[in-house]
Amino acid sequence: MNFNYLKQNWTTSIVYIILIALLLVGSLLSDMFRTSNNLTNLMRQAVALGIVSTGQTLVLLSAGIDLSVGSVISLTTCLTTGLICGRESMVFPVVTLVIVLALLIGFCNGFIIVRTHVSPLIVTLAMMSIIQGVVLLYTNAPVGELPSSFGFLAWGMVGLIPFPIFILAAVAVAAILVQKQTPFGRYLFATGGNEEIARRSGIRVDRVRIFVYMVCSLTAALTGIFLASRMGQGDPMAGERYMIDSLIPPLIGGTSLMGGRGGVVGTIAGTFILTVVSNIFNLLDVETYWQWVMTGSIVIIAVAFYGKETA
Amino acid sequence: MNSTIVEMEGISKGFPGLQALETVDFNCLRGEVHALVGENGAGKSTLMKILSGAYRQDEGRIVLGGREVSFSCPQDAQKSGISTIYQEFNLIPHLNVAENIFLGHEPLKRRGIFIDTRKLYQVPKQILADLETDIHPRIKVRELSVAQQQMVEIAKALCLNADILIMDEPSAVVSGKELDSLFRIINSLRDNGKAIIYISHRVDEIFEIADRVTVLKDGKLVGTLHTKDVDKQGLIKMMVGRSFAEVFPPKEQGERKEILSLKNVCQGRTLKNVSLTLYSGEILGVTGLIGSGRTELARVIFGADPFHTGEIYFNGNKRKKHKPKLSISNGIGFVTEDRKKEGFVRCLSVRKNLTSIILDKIKRWCFIKEGEEKDIARKCVDQFNIVTPNIEQEIEYLSGGNQQKVILAKWINANSKLIIMDEPTRGIDVGAKAEFYNLMRLLVKQGTAVLMISSELPEVIGMSDRILVMHDGRIMGELNPSEATEEDILMMATGQAKKDQGKEQHIEF
Repeated sequence: MNFNYLKQNWTTSIVYIILIALLLVGSLLSDMFRTSNNLTNLMRQAVALGIVSTGQTLVLLSAGIDLSVGSVISLTTCLTTGLICGRESMVFPVVTLVIVLALLIGFCNGFIIVRTHVSPLIVTLAMMSIIQGVVLLYTNAPVGELPSSFGFLAWGMVGLIPFPIFILAAVAVAAILVQKQTPFGRYLFATGGNEEIARRSGIRVDRVRIFVYMVCSLTAALTGIFLASRMGQGDPMAGERYMIDSLIPPLIGGTSLMGGRGGVVGTIAGTFILTVVSNIFNLLDVETYWQWVMTGSIVIIAVAFYGKETA
Repeated sequence: MNSTIVEMEGISKGFPGLQALETVDFNCLRGEVHALVGENGAGKSTLMKILSGAYRQDEGRIVLGGREVSFSCPQDAQKSGISTIYQEFNLIPHLNVAENIFLGHEPLKRRGIFIDTRKLYQVPKQILADLETDIHPRIKVRELSVAQQQMVEIAKALCLNADILIMDEPSAVVSGKELDSLFRIINSLRDNGKAIIYISHRVDEIFEIADRVTVLKDGKLVGTLHTKDVDKQGLIKMMVGRSFAEVFPPKEQGERKEILSLKNVCQGRTLKNVSLTLYSGEILGVTGLIGSGRTELARVIFGADPFHTGEIYFNGNKRKKHKPKLSISNGIGFVTEDRKKEGFVRCLSVRKNLTSIILDKIKRWCFIKEGEEKDIARKCVDQFNIVTPNIEQEIEYLSGGNQQKVILAKWINANSKLIIMDEPTRGIDVGAKAEFYNLMRLLVKQGTAVLMISSELPEVIGMSDRILVMHDGRIMGELNPSEATEEDILMMATGQAKKDQGKEQHIEF
């Protein structure tokens, strides 16, 4: 049974094998790599990317794409710090507000896409621009401050393990359960695989699509709140890189841009592969821009590999 | 047992410019296989789409199990026990068998959030076992053969507790042994009291499997009969009502000289040692079953796909580089099977489609001479009698026959010496067909060579000057159309030697 699972999901298995290989390579290349300090640091670095990529994966499965996640992250970060402004009592209402706002943005994305039949790429790109504009109108410099207890989210430790890794784990497990064990997850694959057949099978495709953009926006909001805690201040450009970066772990993990193929399990491996590579480069004092070169190369190799596999 | 399960009375349905059905009556009994036959465009599919909720009738009523029903969508019909198995399957390739069977109505655990995985696999396993197939419910659908996918579709219908199964040309995708097992399953479903509506145009099959048969022609009911009360010839007469010979123009040939020859061309598993010679001024018909390599052959000759070994000579010269661009400039044209995908650029005008391959000839420096382009387009529209409001009309709004004429005109304009036509009259109505056939003949008389690939045997016999039959990537032999019968062709196409009296003969229209 176990072996069968590996055989059926061998693409996912390969991603994990590569991740393990990278960890070994890292510990060979640098003595620093194995230190607990570095490993906790590494885990902490993976959290933001992992959460938002999970949401992005679900959207990709439905043959959509969400380019607005970056600006949603910026928005939520700035609002969290800006509105809380150091007051402990404001934490709960502000976090709630930020999440509701993100869900609303996701709803708008989905609603516009299913109603106008404009490509998700364009709708979410436009939404990205709108929200980024709003954020910069709100503030064009880092803003706000947080009560020290809020820092636990990003910097807290539970025994030897950094707390944020539990947030990532919770998000990932929830997403995997939804993806594999609920009708909604099944409908994501069906919608992405062949929307017409899904519709003919009685699936309310429009609802599925709206809902998945809401979920994706929610993960972006969680990422934003996490980044606020990590930086202590809200940077209006904090989310910029996630517009593209959130696509990379799903692509490495075997999720297809055409939809209907892949899943969150691969994305988590993809996240850690990226983080480990970047960590190794840092330890070896390689210039940051080489990481960009490396990341791009990895994506091309991975996607070409999957394309051949499933053509 | 044999009570009426569904009754359709006085069904009419019109589409813009076409009365698809005119007061058609149809009924089906429990425990019966009811064949629905007719030529392409007779209205079989429309009638069944009304029954399955995909269309709504303009007039008439449907009585299901004694109650009048009206379906607003296919799901309504499914809930009432009517399931359709289309030729194009409704399966998601990257989901597994069980997931596909339950798609849209997954069994849930008691709490109602998570899928009940045990039930998800148990039920299909049981159903598939009852169907006596060895398909594993966890296997991904894309890994299944077409025949197995058909089984999954049947299992899906049974899982929905369908009482009425509509099967749209199920034998179009399976053959031989697979067809035998399909018939075995249909028989056992009938014994279990299901009603099966079997759409087909293969007469032999109908006598093998059906209890009753309803014949439609041009949207009207011709009659419903017990299969034991009618013979093959009688049924064909009911379906056709006119002789095919009238459609085809007399076989006049043009000047004959060798234009293309293939010597032992191989392409992986699809083409095996194919050799043939094609002369100018003739129509060479190539036929075979699905997967026999006929389309692959066309693509290799045109240069759309590479071949591995062998030689191709065109006009006496061995072809070295093999690319569509070169083929076009050498004078090879290709009227593809799927014109919507490969034949024309959908959202461009008739004019731009007509000149898309001769832009080199009508440009000054790098700009297209629009005046000249328009002249050419107008000339073509007149010459080929293309029905279009004007040359700027987008081609997707033309009828199938006129689209096909645009495509043919495009190649003729480019001075093609050889035109390959893959299923040239698919999806075209009878009138347009005749016109297209005349056009083909005219071309040939002027000395063009035509390689016509077709699975419609009357067309193959009626239009070809010589017939090549393919089976499993090989050319089985050449037939003379003035002597060959459809049975002869099918015998070769199914890979049986000529003298071997095989059992799998299907007369196809």
